[in-house]
Amino acid sequence: MEGLLPRFRAAHTQVLGVSVDSVYCHANWARDLGGISFPLLADFEPKGGLGKAFGYYLDKGGIDDRATVIIDSGGTVRHTSTVTPDGRRKIAELVDLCDSLDRESTTRVKEIPAPAGLPRESILYFKSRCGFSRATLIARDNLHLQDDLAAKNVTRDAQARTDLVRLTGIDQAPCLVLEGKPIHESPEIIRRLVNAATDLTA
Amino acid sequence: MLKVGERAAAFSLKDHLGREISLQTFHNKRHVMLLFYPLDWTPT
Repeated sequence: MEGLLPRFRAAHTQVLGVSVDSVYCHANWARDLGGISFPLLADFEPKGGLGKAFGYYLDKGGIDDRATVIIDSGGTVRHTSTVTPDGRRKIAELVDLCDSLDRESTTRVKEIPAPAGLPRESILYFKSRCGFSRATLIARDNLHLQDDLAAKNVTRDAQARTDLVRLTGIDQAPCLVLEGKPIHESPEIIRRLVNAATDLTA
Repeated sequence: MLKVGERAAAFSLKDHLGREISLQTFHNKRHVMLLFYPLDWTPT
């Protein structure tokens, strides 16, 4: 799926995953996958609400079916299919379908510039056993930023702690340092990472 | 079950990074493809 995302992007199609799992569960699964570049929606509260709205919620099992829906920019459904929960979706066929729908579409869209990425020498300082730190590390993984963003553990790495205090005057972590400027609030850190890595602003 | 040609239900849900996502989020795309799947840790 990840490998085909550039083709969906070129076809002006936004891919969204949907299941009845929670935000927390999605975040952990995305991390286990080694990062995921498209949003996984939590159809969690009310459970299966979106699945029900489209007719794909399965009462038996309390899950959404493995179904695909393509909606155009006017909100009209252009394709529906299901392969049953145990089936496998044919992603290659779906990308071809999105290509042809894109060619037929007369909707004008701005070409979206590629995500800007992070400035060089950005650093994420974090602490062990800190939920806020963990949230920022999960975002770093999920957004495939491991290569662009050094992560330093100030609980274990004395040098990192010294660097952080020298830079910010305090050993508070998580702390994202962008172009020498510290950002301490974890929601703001995650927002900056999302904006650097995707064309979907947070 | 929703059929081709019908209007999709409006929605607003949080994603795995806590962002609020709706169809309007993607006003600069021509299509949105929803991949429903049963549970995390299964293939999408």
